[in-house]
Amino acid sequence: MANVETTSDAGIILDRRQLILGASAVGLASTFGATSAIAAPKKGGTLRMGMEGGSPSDSLDPLTYADSIPITMSLMLWNNLVEVADNGDAVGELFENWEVKPGAADWTFTIRKGITFTSGKTLDADDVIYSINMHRGETKSPAKALLADITEVKKLSANQVQIIMSKGNVDLPFNLSDYHIIVVPNGFKDFSKPDGTGAFTLDEFQPGVRATFKRKSGNYWKPNRGNFDRVELIYIGDAAARTQALVTGQVDIINRVDPKTAGLLAKNQKLKVSRTPGMGNRFAFVAHTDKDPYSNRDLMMALKHGIDRKKIVDNVYGGYASIGNDNCVGPKMKFYDPKQVKNSYDPDKAKFHFKKANTSSAIELQVSEGAFSGATDSGQIFQESLANCGIKMDLKRVSGDGYWDNVWLKVPFCAVYWGNRPTIDNQLTSIFYGGAKNPWNDTHFENAAFSKALEAARVELDQKKRQALYSECQSLVSQNAGMVNYAVQDYLDAHSTKLQGLTISGRYDMGDDRIAEKGWFA
Amino acid sequence: MRIGGRVCARPFFCSTFGIVVQGLHVENTEYFVALFTNLLHFMAKLIVNRLLLGVLTLFAVSVLIFVCTQILPGDVASAVLGQGATPEALVIFRRELGLDVPAHLRYWHWLVGALHGDLGVALTNKRVIIDEILPRMGNTLFLAAYAALIAIPLAVGLGVISAINEGKWSDRLANVVTLVAISLPEFFIAYLLIIFLAVDVELFPSLSTVFKGMPFSERVYQSTLPAFTLTLLVAAHMLRMTRSSVLSVMSTPYIEMAFLKGAPRRRVIVRHALPNAAAPIITVIALNMAYLVVGVVVIEAVFVYPGLGQLMVDAVSKRDVPVIQACGLTFATVFVLLNTLADILVILVNPRLRHKR
Repeated sequence: MANVETTSDAGIILDRRQLILGASAVGLASTFGATSAIAAPKKGGTLRMGMEGGSPSDSLDPLTYADSIPITMSLMLWNNLVEVADNGDAVGELFENWEVKPGAADWTFTIRKGITFTSGKTLDADDVIYSINMHRGETKSPAKALLADITEVKKLSANQVQIIMSKGNVDLPFNLSDYHIIVVPNGFKDFSKPDGTGAFTLDEFQPGVRATFKRKSGNYWKPNRGNFDRVELIYIGDAAARTQALVTGQVDIINRVDPKTAGLLAKNQKLKVSRTPGMGNRFAFVAHTDKDPYSNRDLMMALKHGIDRKKIVDNVYGGYASIGNDNCVGPKMKFYDPKQVKNSYDPDKAKFHFKKANTSSAIELQVSEGAFSGATDSGQIFQESLANCGIKMDLKRVSGDGYWDNVWLKVPFCAVYWGNRPTIDNQLTSIFYGGAKNPWNDTHFENAAFSKALEAARVELDQKKRQALYSECQSLVSQNAGMVNYAVQDYLDAHSTKLQGLTISGRYDMGDDRIAEKGWFA
Repeated sequence: MRIGGRVCARPFFCSTFGIVVQGLHVENTEYFVALFTNLLHFMAKLIVNRLLLGVLTLFAVSVLIFVCTQILPGDVASAVLGQGATPEALVIFRRELGLDVPAHLRYWHWLVGALHGDLGVALTNKRVIIDEILPRMGNTLFLAAYAALIAIPLAVGLGVISAINEGKWSDRLANVVTLVAISLPEFFIAYLLIIFLAVDVELFPSLSTVFKGMPFSERVYQSTLPAFTLTLLVAAHMLRMTRSSVLSVMSTPYIEMAFLKGAPRRRVIVRHALPNAAAPIITVIALNMAYLVVGVVVIEAVFVYPGLGQLMVDAVSKRDVPVIQACGLTFATVFVLLNTLADILVILVNPRLRHKR
């Protein structure tokens, strides 16, 4: 392959000996290496990141990861088993490759050889099994549900692991790419003293304030990555303070740019705004469709046709969002159905359905800035557009404190946001599958045709048939579930032009939280 | 109070110690020693009294905080797991942290630990609380001291000048400026200062993230904008209080006497009125100092300054009870100490308060 060279000019770390060792070298270079068209990364410099998405209660324990900053820190110190490439495919990270038997219930994974932890221990199957089992069984890990169908994780050899499932799932590699599943040495417990295979070591950590990292000596096992000498991550929760810090040059990159000022920021010649459309949070209003009045399908359709989605996207999110179609499947997601019937803003249809619904119950929507920022404004525009259709909706603004305890899942009609998931199966399963047994089924959705199609798609290896099944799922949800998902937010990062290597990722922002590992200074 | 029938030439000194001084010659040395000892004895009694009451206050504060956090909906398990809280995860989380023990037992364990100097570990990330609080407390105190150093002399000085020039344009200007400063929200003032002094003219950094090991001069430079914002906020309050307190004393007979004697206005205010007006001024200064330590969460957020306020707000939203208790106690201690200091100073300045009527 043209890019597997040993000249120092290309900056690729492989030497001839490793090249000769075989296919894994080629796999590495094609996955992680720069193509010959892009300038090779230069090493050195200190990357300063100003980020939102953490608090003084953060810890490096993967069972507690819930927001961007701890995740970003973990990916500097450790690696996952599987990574998501920019095109959305699952590629091996610490797993080199895998084989699956028909039925998608019996998998064999091969682990890369020759990778060491900071302590010097070589990565092997025992470490991988321990790391996976941290999220199985009696555990408070949020990744538990993703691995629930795994019945056995068996060691076949020092670098081969077999995973057997009770129910087949073609997307198992995607599930294993979940950011909670970092690979630690066998028996590791003390996360205040990290020991990982990542490119950096932890220097100082003050939760809620800042963290500093140093590059490990020697070559990082991924070519063209791990280029900075030092990384400094500063917690900046206030959007204005974050923007100012970037403009005055105190940080090199920020996340979650305020959509209202993103346009102004883009005009600055020394900065670049990186926009990932349709991959961010999904914003929705959810109603319990197993009770009155929302069990009335005509009422739900009236609400779905009565919300001016474009107005919300333009006014609340500055145009930096895509219009959602009530099923939380983003337009960039694999198996997204572009031909699905859109629930667009149509006052005539809304009036028609409302008349047919013939309900006299009051409709009350509860919103809060504690649900997501912009919820109140979106709710107000919703109320206005419904009034245009002759439908009266009461809007109640509640406190953000304790929103997830007292309001979401408990109140019949309220606001919620859902994060991006790497696969459509994951997205639809977490929100709509499982009926009453799924504690997060906030619309109390139960539909036999949907469940059947979703289950069939999990084991279907033929891509065309899979697409057909998922198209059916999307349409069933969009037309029957009690969710008004009106927008899918864009990710907005901004950075100084001298920072290179930030690409539009297949999953999360900031280069799928890996910019510290992937980037370099021009 | 007078001894020897003579009014002393420096009334402030006299009224403090109640003795007569003629030039450098002290009359009646034994009486002086007795009075001084009396004063010290009184002070000691006062301090011990106040400190005991302070301990009682801290105890009451800790109980109140505990009770209030229990009343709030949710607990640390649901707050930390957030949207990811399945019923099984909640049970396991609570069991690991010992939250399945009844409330009064949990409080008792915490109290016993605290009395031994062990404030425990945070429920959310298992870090030792004292290690988290001490650097943040240092930062908060540093910023408060920086702001106080500028604000107090500025406010009292300008307040006295305002009182001297009552009715003139300088007084009216001071009035308007301070009213505007008090009325504007603090984050607005902060953003204005950032725009003018950090973005348009890059005089100061907009991020004030200080950390251990930073050279002192660098720390002062980074903390200047937040200190400046805080100065504007508290100086306004102290200035107006100084001015009104001094002016209220102006209608008393001894002031009238001083004017009739022929003393110029400036001398009357500084030498005769100010010492007697000192009590409310000292009280207001103490209150504002306490605010500088306890109430600057918004400034911390805007300037990203790692102080104690941010820690407490986050601990409350995560229901991390040991951290809330530790922060609450720290703040209560600051209040108690500042109030005690203010009481002592007031009594030193005004001996009439030493004796019961």
